[in-house]
Amino acid sequence: MASQSNIPSANLTTENPQLSETTPATGEDVLDAKASPTPSVFVNTEPMREDQVQNAVKFLSHPKVRGSPVIYRRSFLERKGLTKEEIDEAFRRVPDPPPTATSAQPANTNQVASTNALPQAPTKVLQPPAAAPGADAISTMGTLAQSRFHWYHALLAVGVLAVSGAGTALLFKNAIVPRLKSWIRKVVLEEDELAKKLNSKPSLAEETAAAAKAAAAAAADVAKASQEMVNSKNEEKMYFMEFTNMLDAQQREMRSLSNSIRKLEGQSNGLGRNSFVEQEDYRSAAYSSSKQPVTNGKADFDVGSVRSSPSPASAEQPLPPHSKSYMEIMAMVQRGERPPNIKPWETAPAQTMYGSDVKAQDNGVTYEMNGDNPAPWWQRKNVNITEIGQDETKTAPYSIPANDRPLQRTWVPPLPPPVAMPEAAAAIRQPKSTIQRDRLTDDQLLARASEGTDELQRITKISESGGALEMNDASSGQYSSEIQEEKENGYEEH
Amino acid sequence: MPVFKTPFNGYAVKFSPFYESRLAVATSQNFGILGNGRLHILNLNPSGPISEFGFFETSDGIYDLTWSEDNDNIVIAAIADGSVKIYDLSLPPTQNPIRSLHEHSREVHSADYNPVRRDSFLTSSWDDTVKLWTIDRPTSVRTFKEHTYCVYSAAWNPRHADVFASASGDCTLRIWDVREPASTMIIPAHEFEILSCDWNKYDESCIVSASVDKSIRVWDVRNFRIPVAVLNGHGYAVRKVKCSPHRQNMIVSCSYDMTVCMWDYMVEDSLVTRYDHHTEFAVGVDMSVLVEGLMASTGWDELVYVWQHGMDPRAP
Repeated sequence: MASQSNIPSANLTTENPQLSETTPATGEDVLDAKASPTPSVFVNTEPMREDQVQNAVKFLSHPKVRGSPVIYRRSFLERKGLTKEEIDEAFRRVPDPPPTATSAQPANTNQVASTNALPQAPTKVLQPPAAAPGADAISTMGTLAQSRFHWYHALLAVGVLAVSGAGTALLFKNAIVPRLKSWIRKVVLEEDELAKKLNSKPSLAEETAAAAKAAAAAAADVAKASQEMVNSKNEEKMYFMEFTNMLDAQQREMRSLSNSIRKLEGQSNGLGRNSFVEQEDYRSAAYSSSKQPVTNGKADFDVGSVRSSPSPASAEQPLPPHSKSYMEIMAMVQRGERPPNIKPWETAPAQTMYGSDVKAQDNGVTYEMNGDNPAPWWQRKNVNITEIGQDETKTAPYSIPANDRPLQRTWVPPLPPPVAMPEAAAAIRQPKSTIQRDRLTDDQLLARASEGTDELQRITKISESGGALEMNDASSGQYSSEIQEEKENGYEEH
Repeated sequence: MPVFKTPFNGYAVKFSPFYESRLAVATSQNFGILGNGRLHILNLNPSGPISEFGFFETSDGIYDLTWSEDNDNIVIAAIADGSVKIYDLSLPPTQNPIRSLHEHSREVHSADYNPVRRDSFLTSSWDDTVKLWTIDRPTSVRTFKEHTYCVYSAAWNPRHADVFASASGDCTLRIWDVREPASTMIIPAHEFEILSCDWNKYDESCIVSASVDKSIRVWDVRNFRIPVAVLNGHGYAVRKVKCSPHRQNMIVSCSYDMTVCMWDYMVEDSLVTRYDHHTEFAVGVDMSVLVEGLMASTGWDELVYVWQHGMDPRAP
C-alpha cells in the first residue's frame, strides 16, 4: 500500500493543477482521506477544452439533434472524447436559443442579400417566394455543418428553373402568339381571294362540280359497301377468335387435369380425387358453353392441390441430434421454431450431479500424495516453445462432427443482436400464434378460391366479347403467384 | 495437454483462486441463442485427463462465471435470462443454487468478484446497467446506469477496493468509483463495441480493452487520450482479454478468429504466441493465478483446453 500513495502525489506534480471535477477527489483508504486528501487517479483532471465545448454546442443546436433523445446526444459526445464537465457545459449553453440566434443573424443577412442577386427572374411576382426559401436555406446554412449544403442548393436550382419556365411561358404568350395569329389571318385572306377568282367561271365549273358530286356519291356507296364487308369479316373474325379461345381454355383445362391426375396419383388424398372426378363429368357435359361449372371445378381442384402440398415438405426435415451450426439455429429461432435439444426445465434439476468426491476439501490434498510425479504436469515448465499447428493427429478423442462449416466464413456478429432475443423469446412463449395462423390461412384459401372464380368468369366474358389474349395471361399469372404464396404459408405451419 | 468436452458450447472458463487444479466452465446450449446452460466444475489430474467434479444445469444459457475470493466453494454464474445464480459446492445438488438473484431485465453478460474487499461482486448486463451485490444480501446494493448500450464486461481494479471499469457496446470504457454517484471517467476507447476489459495486476492505472474492431488497446487512465499500445493481429472481433497475474506486460486474448493470442505490449512486435487449437469461436480464456503460465480456454466447439504457455494445447 505504500507505493500507492506515492503515485497519486507524483500525479499532482505532473498533471495540471486545475481540478475541475464536480465531485471531490478522495484518497483510496478512509484513513488517508481524512489525513491527506490525495486525488484519485481514476478521476479526470483535465481542464475544460473550450473548442470542444463549442463544437458540442454547435452539434446540440442542430435541429435534427434537437429531436433526438438526450441520452443519444450524450453518448455521441462521450464517444467523441468529451469529458463529463465539457458535456455538461455544452448542455448548459445550448437551451438558450435567442442569444445564439441573434448573434448569428446579422452575419446571415449579408449572405442573403448577396445570393438574391443571382436568380434574376423576369417577373417580380415570383421573386419574393423564391427569395424566402432561399433566405431560410441560407440562415440555417450559417449555423449548420456543410453536409446540408447540397440539399438547399438543389432547392435553389429548382426555384430558378421554375422562374425561368414561367418567364419563357410569358414571353411565348406575349410575343410569338400574336405573330402566329397574324400569319394565319394572312393565309385565310389569300384563300378568299382565290375563291373569288374561281367564281368568275361559273358554267364549266358547275358541270364539273356536279360530275364530281356524282362521283363522290358513288364513291361513298362503294365505301359503305366495303365497310359492310369489313364489318362482316370482323364479325367472322370474332367468332373465330371466340372459338379458338374456347379451344385454348379447354386445352388448358385438359393440361391442368392431367397434372392433377399425376399429383393425386402420388398422394392418397381421396377428397381431391372425388371432387376432380365429379367435375370432369360435369365438364364434358357442359363443354361448349364454358360457364360456371368449369370455373368451380378449376377452383376447387387447385385448392385441393395446395392443401396437399405441405405434407411432403414436413417429411423432409429430419433433425440431427447433434450440433447444428450457429446460423441454422438463428434461422430456426427467427422462424419461431424451438431447437429440439432443449430439455424442459421441470426435469432438468435432476441432472445436477456431483462426481464421486462430494467433499471439496479432499481434492486439494489427494493430489500431492501422488508419489510418481512430485509436481503435477501443469507445474512442469517446458522451455521449448513448439510450433503450433504441426500436430494434427491428436484431435481424435474429442473430434467434433462439425463438417458443414466452411472455413472461409463471413464475419458473424459476436452475439445475437439484442433485438433478436425478444422475438425469439416471444415466439417461444406464444405457441398460440401458430394456431391463429392456421385459421388465417384457411380463410385466405377460401377468399382466394372465390377470387379465382370471379377471375375466370371475367376471362370468359372477355373472350366472348373478343378481347385480347393478354388479359387472360395477366390474370392467370397473378392467380398462380397467389397459389405460390399459399404454398409457402402452408410450409411455414410445419 | 488435457482436453475436456462439454455437451454445450463453451462461454467462459475461470480458474479457482484457491485450488490450482480446479476450474469452472460456463456453457450454453445452441450457442447461447436459446436453450439450457451448464456450469461444470473440473479437476485437473496430474496423470493427464481432466475429470469433472460435477455440473449444474440451468434453464437458460450461462454467459460468465466468477469464483468467490472469500469462500473456496462459492461460484457465481451470470445467466442469459437475466438472473445471477450463486452455487455452493459444499452443499448437495438439491440445495443448489443457494441464491438466484433476478434483477437485470436482460441477459447478464459478465460477473466479477472483488479481490480486495472479497465480499461483493459486480454483474454487467445487456440492459445497459452494472449492478453491485454482496453475497449475503438478496438484492443489489447499487445499480450503475450510464451506458447507452449493452455492458459486456465489468472488472474490479486489483488494487483499489472501490474502483472498477465497465466496457460497453456504446464504444466507451467507464471508470467508476463505488463511493461516487456517477462514473468518474469516460474513455472513448474504440470506434466499435468494446467486448472486454481488464486491469493490469501490476500497474493500477493500466487498463486493457478489446473490441469488435479486432484490436486490443492498452490505456493509462492518467493520460487516456492516447492508448499506450494498440495490439493488432486478430482476424475478427476480440472477445475476451486478460492480463497475466505473473508478468506485467503479458496479455492473453481470445477472438472469433478461433485463436488465443499471447501478447507483450511493451515490445514492438507484440504478438508472442498464437494458439489456434479451437475450431470455432474462442470465447473464454483465463490464466491461473496459482500456477505461472497455466492457461485455459474454451469456445463454441464445446472443448476446454488447459495448457502451459509455450506448449501446444493439442499435444498429448
